[in-house]
Amino acid sequence: MDPLFQALVDLGQPATMLTLVLSVAIGLVIGAIPGLSVNIAVALAVPLTIFMPTTQALVLLIGLYGSGIFGGSVSAILLNAPGTPASAATIFDGFPMAQQGLATKALRISLIASLYGAVFSVVLLILVAPELANFALGFGPVEIASLLLFTFFVIGILSGASLAKGLLSAAVGMVLATVGSDPMLGTPRFTFGQTALMDGLTYVPLLVGLFALAEILEEASRGFSQRIGKVSLSGEDREANRITGKDMKFIAFPMVRASAVGSAIGILPGIGATIASFLAYGDAKRSARDSSRFGKGDLRGVAASESANNAVVGATFIPTLALGIPGDAVTAILLGALVLQGVTPGPLIFVMNPGIVYTIYLTLLFSTLLMAIIGFIAVRPLAMTLRIPKIYLMPCVALVCIAGAYVARNNIVDVWVMFGAGLLGFVFNRTGVPVAPLLITFIITRPFEEALRQALTRSEGSFMPFLTNPVTLTLAALVAVFFVLALRRDLSRRKTPASSLSSEGTNHG
Amino acid sequence: MTIAMTKRAVLGALACSLAATAGPATAQDAGWEPSKPIQIIVGFAPGGGTDQTARLIASSAQEFFPVPLVVVNRPGASGTLAAELVAKAEPDGHTLLVAGGSESTSVPNHRETNYSLDQLKGVLRVNREHMVIVTKKGSGLDSIEAIVERAKENPGELAYGSSGPAGVLHSAFLVFANEAGIDLKHIPYQGGSPALAALLGGHVDMTIITPGDAAAQVAAGTVNAVATTSDRAEQIPDVPSLSELGYDVNVENMKGLVAPAGTPDEATEYLRSRFKQAIDSETFATLASRANITPSYLSGPEFDKAMSDMSNSIAAALEGGADESESSAQ
Repeated sequence: MDPLFQALVDLGQPATMLTLVLSVAIGLVIGAIPGLSVNIAVALAVPLTIFMPTTQALVLLIGLYGSGIFGGSVSAILLNAPGTPASAATIFDGFPMAQQGLATKALRISLIASLYGAVFSVVLLILVAPELANFALGFGPVEIASLLLFTFFVIGILSGASLAKGLLSAAVGMVLATVGSDPMLGTPRFTFGQTALMDGLTYVPLLVGLFALAEILEEASRGFSQRIGKVSLSGEDREANRITGKDMKFIAFPMVRASAVGSAIGILPGIGATIASFLAYGDAKRSARDSSRFGKGDLRGVAASESANNAVVGATFIPTLALGIPGDAVTAILLGALVLQGVTPGPLIFVMNPGIVYTIYLTLLFSTLLMAIIGFIAVRPLAMTLRIPKIYLMPCVALVCIAGAYVARNNIVDVWVMFGAGLLGFVFNRTGVPVAPLLITFIITRPFEEALRQALTRSEGSFMPFLTNPVTLTLAALVAVFFVLALRRDLSRRKTPASSLSSEGTNHG
Repeated sequence: MTIAMTKRAVLGALACSLAATAGPATAQDAGWEPSKPIQIIVGFAPGGGTDQTARLIASSAQEFFPVPLVVVNRPGASGTLAAELVAKAEPDGHTLLVAGGSESTSVPNHRETNYSLDQLKGVLRVNREHMVIVTKKGSGLDSIEAIVERAKENPGELAYGSSGPAGVLHSAFLVFANEAGIDLKHIPYQGGSPALAALLGGHVDMTIITPGDAAAQVAAGTVNAVATTSDRAEQIPDVPSLSELGYDVNVENMKGLVAPAGTPDEATEYLRSRFKQAIDSETFATLASRANITPSYLSGPEFDKAMSDMSNSIAAALEGGADESESSAQ
């Protein structure tokens, strides 16, 4: 029998379909819980798959992975607490939209963008996986370091309301990223003898603290006053939350660009969905004709971030299948699960096990469609969360944050990191220092340092490889242009101080 | 410093509370019996190789134990976080660590750790994973002789990718370079997979992968498998070992169970005999062969000796100045 047909038949089994529905639904919920990331969900599901048929095992794991990323945007939009790190950039416009009574609309935009990004990358995976994978292999430390430096400029410089405060925030993020063992020598740095800090400050607790806990503290300092007039659904105009053809046209171009960015980043080793969504967000803001609404509830911000992070999902399967090298932590777990099934992943998987490859393709597509269906049904009930009075809702969120920070590594140190980050975020919000640059530099610094030092070790300290590399030169030229533009913008803003005051009110942009 | 001390105390207390929730430890005479769930601590994230091995062992051994076997992940710092935890845990036979890899034989030789191999006591070795040195197809480095020759012509020119500083991959290359009297450049990556990607992209000249991966990549014509770092592996029987090529290298990734050093012999013997029954079982054999795991039993004391021999050979290579930047950084 034709392997494609066989894969379809296997997927059509009632038990497999049921597994798919359940895993997509569970993935949405776990993704939406701040601190519980997709990685944990997929990893914990692996032991369950040992005694399952291969198709069912794949369906379970892939279903969790795909829907978990969309789930992350739900809490980002509703609670200012990204459910997964990849949804951090969704906060910038998603949460302001929710505060303006447009929660349902933000969730729908997120769903459409997620669907688009996911399908975009799966189509790439099916059509050109081997070609793209081999192209991506050519990206060595020199190219990766240049790309990360470029990312830093695109999103770091452009996202701050004031250059000085933006740089302050970015500097703090960079310092925090140096905690942990030296990437080349393994020597501990700023760990104060704590083995738990050898891997650096754990990312999920830091993120949860900076956004969710800071928001809870902010609310607490206002006595959980009900600004709910703005937020409640009763005051929410159904009409305002409808997605119109004009909206679709408005987000179409940013969505295509962001899906391309997400796919490109997803193929490259060691960068990941979080950086992809930030980069796509920065790109959407930079390329927009009128970017003044970004950070205050622009549809395009939500669309860009969510289509990029979902595009990463399909794209990480490109090196995973074509080369047998996992594209990220989740696909690594997936390959491990395949090994337990007695399937050896590798470049020959297309020849040896075409059935497995088709099953993965089909599961990615089906789970995306299911995610869309379940998502559309769930959007309104989810938005109801905002009807719960803050005095009850916020303590529950705080509890979930604490549990989530602990569960990330079963380590109490991470809970303290979250509390520290929460206080820091609170102080930043109060003083008008944007939190985003801190987060961005924190994420980028470590892979950047690694790539830079790998490149310099190879060249024995010479920067010549950077000066002769076409990728590097192109990116450097772009960075120079952006830098001058940002500087000019900041200088012109300084001449008209009134406008800068109003834009400093938005802390997350 | 005091902060570090208190935090360490907190960690210790946590370890104790994990280890001692129910009644007092049972009598230490011949009739040792577990009195509460046995925790099997894994120093790596769920879903990884070590985690999988642990879960295979636990699920096939459960039927031989009167108490639940619980796999607990305490990932961090190349597995040393968990090793430290178990080394300082209550030695009552209810806390075990999956050991035998980087955290046991390699890392403590490279940097200061809050535990040493002596603070852990072997229960049994379950399996060993061979490590295979691979180079890119078409690079001309199709044998160990070619590598050594090239390295001697251009000292410090050839670079190897590792899974991270101080890990067992890094150490294997150090021992080999020291034995061969050559100078290789070390480029660490975040795990073995990125290192393999770097090899295929031509950014490093060699790296180490598992025999299963090596077989798959060789079949696809992407890499040369030049040698294993211990003895021949059954998945790739044609690939010679470094020792038969005349280099005294024996480094590999072992997996087994260890307990805190003070654990009474009665307890470790009880555990050993039951886990041994498990790895001899039909269930384990089926699962292990599917998952490319090569069972290789050793008793507790034999496992201890195997680990300390490996650790000593790595220590000797480090003293031999195979990696000067490393030793000066200490």
